[in-house]
Parts: sequence; C-alpha cells; structure tokens
Amino acid sequence: MRILSLTVGLILAAQMGHGGQAPAAPLTCATCHPAQAGPQPETSMARAIQLPAVDPLFRSHPRLDLKIGAYSYVIERRANEVTYSVTDGRDTLILPVHYAFGVGSQTFVLEREGRLYESFVSFYPAIDGLDRTMGDQQLQPKTLLEALGRDVTETESAACFGCHSTGAVAGKRLNLSAMIPGVRCQHCHVGALDHLAAISRGKLESVPPKLKQLSPEDLSNFCGQCHRTWETVVRNKWQGEVDVRFQPYRLANSRCFDGVDQRISCIACHDPHREIVREDKTYDAKCLACHSAGAPPSAGMLAAHAGDPPSAVVMKTCPVSTSDCVTCHMPKVQLPGGHMFFKDHEIRVVRSGDPYPN
Amino acid sequence: MLIASIVCLIGIAAQAAAPFQDLAARATAAREANDVPHAIELYKQSVDLNPRWEEGWWYLGSLLYDSDQYAAGRDALKHVVQIDAKAAPAWALLGLCEFETGEYSTSLDDIRRAFAQQLDPQMESVLHYHEALLLTRLGRFDEAVKAYTWFVSRGVKNPELMVAFGLAALRTPRLPKEVAGDPQRFALAGQAAYLTMLRDYKDANETFDHLLQAFPRAHYVHYLYGCFLLAAKPDEAMAELRRELEITPASGAANAMLAWVLLERGDTDAARPYARAAAAQDPSLPLAQYVWGRSLLEDGKVNVSIEHLQLAEQRDPSNIETHMSLATAYSKSARPLDARRERLQTLEMLRANAHENP
Repeated sequence: MRILSLTVGLILAAQMGHGGQAPAAPLTCATCHPAQAGPQPETSMARAIQLPAVDPLFRSHPRLDLKIGAYSYVIERRANEVTYSVTDGRDTLILPVHYAFGVGSQTFVLEREGRLYESFVSFYPAIDGLDRTMGDQQLQPKTLLEALGRDVTETESAACFGCHSTGAVAGKRLNLSAMIPGVRCQHCHVGALDHLAAISRGKLESVPPKLKQLSPEDLSNFCGQCHRTWETVVRNKWQGEVDVRFQPYRLANSRCFDGVDQRISCIACHDPHREIVREDKTYDAKCLACHSAGAPPSAGMLAAHAGDPPSAVVMKTCPVSTSDCVTCHMPKVQLPGGHMFFKDHEIRVVRSGDPYPN
Repeated sequence: MLIASIVCLIGIAAQAAAPFQDLAARATAAREANDVPHAIELYKQSVDLNPRWEEGWWYLGSLLYDSDQYAAGRDALKHVVQIDAKAAPAWALLGLCEFETGEYSTSLDDIRRAFAQQLDPQMESVLHYHEALLLTRLGRFDEAVKAYTWFVSRGVKNPELMVAFGLAALRTPRLPKEVAGDPQRFALAGQAAYLTMLRDYKDANETFDHLLQAFPRAHYVHYLYGCFLLAAKPDEAMAELRRELEITPASGAANAMLAWVLLERGDTDAARPYARAAAAQDPSLPLAQYVWGRSLLEDGKVNVSIEHLQLAEQRDPSNIETHMSLATAYSKSARPLDARRERLQTLEMLRANAHENP
C-alpha cells in the first residue's frame, strides 16, 4: 500500500507540475495504468460498436448490396452518413445506420418511429459482402418493415448495448445519450470513474475491485455477463454449434476446468486489455502449465487420486506434441449461418467423427 | 419298505391336498356366485391350508377391499407381494387399502411400486389420482401438483378432481372427504390451476378473479395467483406473494417463491431475508433449501450453501436449477469432479426434457 501511495503520489505530482499549477493534461485511466488502458482502445472489445461516420467498413465498402427474394438491400455511405435501404420494387424504406455492432462481421442498428431495429442483413468479411443476419435464417418477411429488420424489444436493446458499449444502461433501462461506443475501462471496472475523480483529488480510497483476484469460476461468470455464462446458456437451452460462441459455457464443460485453479481461467489465456492473439503457438505455455511433467496437480486430479501416493498424482501430458495444442484440442467450429469460425473452448481430446459435444 | 413309506407319504399328501382343492374350488364358486362373505371365509380357510397359494391371497385381499375391510385386505395382499414382488395389481390394491387405513406414507410407496409394473389403464388412472391425493395429504404439494398433470394432459376433468387439485394448489394437507363441507374454495382453485396447466390463460384469469373475490383472505389464494402471474407479470406476482405473507406470515412456500423471484432478478440483498425465513419455516421444502443455498452461495458462503443445495437436490432431484447452483458451488470450493458431475447431469436432464417436449 505504501509503495502504491508513493507511486500515485509521484504521478499526481507530475500531473500537477511544479508549484501546484494546473494539470498539464486531464487525468485518465492511462495516466496510472498505461499498460492496460494504453492498448485497450485498439481492441475489438473497445470497438464492439462503431459509429458509421468512422467505421472503416464503409470506407472500404462505400456501397454494399444484396437481393433476398423480393427484397433488395443497399447500404451506402454518403459523406458522413450511412443509409440502409430496402425495397420490394414498389416501396422503399431508407433509414440512417445509427450503430454498427461488431468489428469484423457487422450488424446494423436502425431507428424508426422511436423503435430500434436489428438489420435483416449483416456484413461478413468471409464473403466480403452482405448476407442474412445470423439467427434470421428462418424468417420470411411478409412486409417491407419486416424485411427491414427485427423489431428489438427494450429489454433486448438494453442487453445488446449493455454488452457492446459502456454506460448505456442504467437500472436495466437503455439510455443512449450516455452511451460510449465499445467496451471501455468502466464497463468492467465498476467504479472506475469515481476512482478517477477521487485520484484527481489525491484520494486513494475508491479503488475498484481487483478483477484479476477473482477465481476462475467467478471470472467465467464475470466475463460471461456478455460472453454468456454456463448457466445462461443452459437456461436458454442454446444447443448445437451455435453455442460455440459462448466461451465461458464451453470452458466450463471442459474436463480440465477447475473453478479455483488460476491456470485455467479467461485471463490465464487472454489479456482483455489487448487485442486477442490468434497465433496458436502463443497458447502452448498456457496448456503446458498443467500438461507437462512436473506440473503441480490440479484439485480435480488430487480428488480423483485421493489416497494415492503423491508420486502417482501426475498431470496428463500429450503423447503427440507439445506445441500448437489448441489446433487439435480446441478445434475451430463454424457458426451456423454466421460465415465465421470460433475456437471451441470445450478443451478435449477430439476424435475423428465425434459429434459436436453439447 | 422304502416303497411302502413313499406310498404312505403320497397318501398323506393326497389327504391334505384333497381338502385344499375342495376348499379352493368352493371359494371360487362362491366368488363367482357373488357370495362375498362366504367366499372370504372359504379363501381364508384355503390359504390357512396352503399359505403359498398366491391366487387365494389375491382374491381374499380383493374381496376384503371390495367389502371395505381394508386392514384385513391389506394383510392378505401383503402375502401376495411377498410371494410375487412383481404383482402390480396386488401392490396397487395394497396401496389403496393402506390409503383407506390412513397409512399414507406406506400407501404412497406401494402405489409407486405398482407403477413400476404394467397396469391396466383404469387402475393406472385410479392410482395416479391416489398418488396425487397422498402427496397432498403428506404435504408434498409441489409434487402433488405435478402429479395432476397426468389428468390435465388426458383431458380428465370432474368436480371431485377439481377439489382434490385445489387442495394441492392451496397447499392444504387434507383429503377431499375432509373438506366436504366447504369445497367451493378448493374447487375454484383446482379449476384455476387446471386451466393454467392447459394454458387457457384467459379462463384461468377469470377463475382467479372469482376465487380472489370470494376468498380474499383464505390461505394460499394469493400465493397461487402470484405463481400464475410469475411468467407474464412478475411485479404483480411479487405483490401477490407479499399479500400472501400478510395472511400467512409463516409460509415457507411464499417466502421461498418471493426469494426465488428476487434471486432471478439478481437482487440477492432483497432475497436473503425471504430465503432465510423459508428455510427456517419449511426446511423440508426443496425450493426453500434451494433459495437459501443459492442466497448463501451468492454471498460467498460456499460450504454452507452446499449443505442446503444438497438438501434441495435430495428432496427434488428433478430441479435443474439446483444442479446448476450445485455445480457452481462445487466449482468454487475446489471440487471440480463434483462440479462436472452436476453439469453433465444438468445437460443430460436438458436433453431428456428436449426429447420429451420437443
């Protein structure tokens, strides 16, 4: 605590300048936490919602179009506005795109007569174009309005913006005027703004909870608020390949998941302050932390060998390789209707011909 | 000498068999002539001579049951099931005799033994009805309500059934004959519960209106209405549950249900006192143990939460929510194998449910 106080004191002194003059620059999260807050704005999470005026998609694709049955769609950028239009040949609905959800694949949020709509078509990098929005494959629009998109309930809107942005939901109600696009510091670090204000006054009492001290089980539930917890997936009866998106659920189904072993948690493998690392090799060390000779046994392993001599309690090692573990044990699964693949976080020995485990 | 002895033994056996066969034939004739008292007497003499005569015990038991001599019928039928443990009709009639002699717990056990075998449809219906009556009389109301779904799914409906269903719905541990002087409240409640199960919400709502107008201060009327409102109007449901607690302050069921709604809303602080009260007032109620266990779990008191969740699981193993919470609790308490078992069991139950209710 003393070291921390000294550090913060030094930073504050630097901010204030000599002689207590006005600060040179406003205090931000990055002032004290540059390693975390510095790279975070460039992550996909920080860009989980993009405003059309600055969305790179519309710079590279100023016009996107698609015909589905009787309906034709055009998404077009003009100056700083992006419009989404659908026509059946007789009538046309044209609305401005307010928000683009996602970084690679993008779905658009439109507003009409005070109601929010999820666009019927989305952009998918894998096909470099538009296709039906995932989940809408079975819908057969009967009217132009239905073809425009899906009318989203208030509760659903709050859930969508609650995960894709920061500050948009207060008391379970959506307040878009307070929304900051994307997941920013205070989204996860509840109380960060109070902390920032207190630090500005030289006070250290209001430190937000330290998330890295959470157990793997608690972290799964924390991250699962957006990435879906095991319980959420079960309660909603989401089954089949579609649940590969829900990493905390898949991880909890893994034989090796242990709710108190810090070697297998969301943040054991991923740093949420940095962009996701997609090189498989990067994760080898994480797997080998458990699956190597001499690795300390997990609680599950100890329980399974209760009463055995310590020498008999040995963590399993892979007979095939000690590198690129995830290529075999976390296969990529295609998301139905999504034109994208996800790494399956149900870590397992995959045998050829095995069905997707639910 | 040996031959002479054998002939002698055969002669003695024949002398013993002759009166038994004669008695058995006369018993059968009396039964077929509907001379019940005489048939009972002859069957008694027959089984005295040949206690292994299963058919004799069966007819004796069934004739005694038909003549309202339930204790004697029970004793005779016990001989049948001792000779043939798979004699479903005997288990059924034995359970019905015990129902009449007031041995409710044993009656329920024996009726359930009969269910394990093949039964004719008429007997099956009688047994389902008695099973539901017994569960109600034993205070296992939630199981009783579930048992009545057998009748709802088959469209079986009559005034006596409505009263019986109403007793379970209003959590009244009585038999219909015990409320014969005042059946209206139970008939209305049964009707409302029946219509709710049929998903005829409009008529159910009207019936609830009648019930609430006629019996606004009766125990468990507001509880039942609150349960009806839970899915569509949770705020109104909570108000009804609170009204029930004004009328029945020591209701473990109302406290448990209110706690459950609050826990589902993520309001652990508000749920806690209701959950604690529920577990104290009705420790045998699975939902009470579940909400108190879950409340403790969310307060971080993991080990003590497991004790309560295990009690809930023992008393109602079919509740998926209990398995889910136990999985989390085990995971948090370094018991990954137990957590995995609970998770796999939950998923298996989900699959079974999906198969039964596609």
